[in-house]
Amino acid sequence: MNLSTIYLSVTRKFYRILFSIFALGIILGLIPFEAAAHGVDEKTRNFLLNNTGVQFIAFMYIGAKHMITGYDHLLFLVGVIFFLYKSSDILLYVSMFALGHSSTLLLGVLLDLQVNAYLVDAIIGFSVVYKGFDNLGGFKRILGYSPNPKRAVFIFGLFHGLGLATKLQEFQLPQDGLFINLVAFNLGVELGQISVLIFILIAISFWRQHYSFKLFSTTTNTLLMSSGLMLIGFQLTGYFTN
Amino acid sequence: MQPTLSIKALMKAITIALVCAALALIIIILPAEYNIDPTGFGAKLGLTALAKPTINSVADIEFKQLSDNFDVIVPAGRGVEFKFSMQQFKKMKYEWQTNGEPLYFDLHGEPEGDTTGYFESYAIATLSKMTGSFTAPFSGAHGWYWKNTSVSPITVQLKVNGEYVIIGLKQ
Repeated sequence: MNLSTIYLSVTRKFYRILFSIFALGIILGLIPFEAAAHGVDEKTRNFLLNNTGVQFIAFMYIGAKHMITGYDHLLFLVGVIFFLYKSSDILLYVSMFALGHSSTLLLGVLLDLQVNAYLVDAIIGFSVVYKGFDNLGGFKRILGYSPNPKRAVFIFGLFHGLGLATKLQEFQLPQDGLFINLVAFNLGVELGQISVLIFILIAISFWRQHYSFKLFSTTTNTLLMSSGLMLIGFQLTGYFTN
Repeated sequence: MQPTLSIKALMKAITIALVCAALALIIIILPAEYNIDPTGFGAKLGLTALAKPTINSVADIEFKQLSDNFDVIVPAGRGVEFKFSMQQFKKMKYEWQTNGEPLYFDLHGEPEGDTTGYFESYAIATLSKMTGSFTAPFSGAHGWYWKNTSVSPITVQLKVNGEYVIIGLKQ
C-alpha cells in the first residue's frame, strides 16, 4: 500500500463522516422550522413587547434564530461562498459581511433610522440576484471585469444589517438596556450565521469533490438569481400594496 | 473554477431565473401572502386563505367595548325583539325604561347556528324599567322580547354598554 492510496482511503472516510454530519444537520435543522422566515414569530413578539432591561442571552438567541431561519441572508451567503475555496478567503468575506451588517444594525436602531422594511428587503433580494449573476460570470462577460467582490459583500452587508434593524424597530424597544441588548442580538446573528455557514461549507466542499458540482453550478446560481427575484417581487408587492 | 458563461448561456440563465420567479410569484407567493391572485390558481390551491385575517383578529376588531342608546317602539298589542350578537362570556350592562307603562319582557339568548328554536331566558317580568347586566353563556343573539298589551304604542329607551354587534329589531 503506497502513500497515495492511504491518503485516498483517509479522505474517503473523512468525507463519509462529513456527509453523515451534514445529513444529521439537515434533519435537525428541519425540526424547529415553525418560525416564519421573516418578521418575528408570535412568542418572540410577546417577549420583545413585554420585557425590559438587559436580556443578554434572550436577545442573543433571537438574533441567532433570526439568522438561522432567515432564508434571504442564507441565500446571499451561499452565493458568496459558492466559489471560495480557501478558508482564509471564506473568513475574509464572511468578516466583510459581518462588519457591514453589524454597523447598520447597531446604527439603524440606535439612531432610529426610519427606512422602509419592504424596500430594504427588496434590496436584500437584489443582493442575492447580484451574487448569482456574478457567480455565473455575468459581470466578467458584460463589463469585462467583476466589480470588487469584497466591497460588494460589505455594501450588501450594510443593507442586510438595515433589514435586521427594521425587524427590531417594529417593537419600539425600550431605551433601558437597549445598547447591550443590541450587542447581544448582533452577537446572536453572528453565531447563527457561523453555525449555518458550517453546514453550507460542509455541503459545498463535499459537493465540489464531485463532477456534478461543475455540472450543476450554473443551475444552482440560476436558481439563486431566481430566488432573489422572487424576494424582490414579494417585497415590492408588499411595498406597493401597504 | 468559476466559469464565465457565454452571452448565450448567460441569457438562458437569466430567462430561466425570470420565468421561474414570475411563475412562483404569480401562482404561489402573491396569493398566499397578499391574496393577490390573477390566475385563480391560488384560490384553487387553497393558498389565498393564508392571506386572509384570522377569525380571532376579526372578532377583536368588531367586539370592542361599545355604548349605544336606542328608542325601541313597541306597537300596541304587539311584541318586538331587539337583539345583539355577542361572543361567549362577553358582558353587557343595560338600562331601559318606558314612559311609566309596564311591559312584559323576556331577556334571553339564542345560540349561534341553532335551528331548533331553543333559547335561554335570563329574566322574565313585567316592569316599566330595569337596570342590570349579564354575561353571554354562549355565542349567539342576545336581547329582549317586549310585549305591549296596551292600546297605544310604547317607546322603550334602551342604553347598553358592552362587547356586542347590533342586530337590532326583529318583529
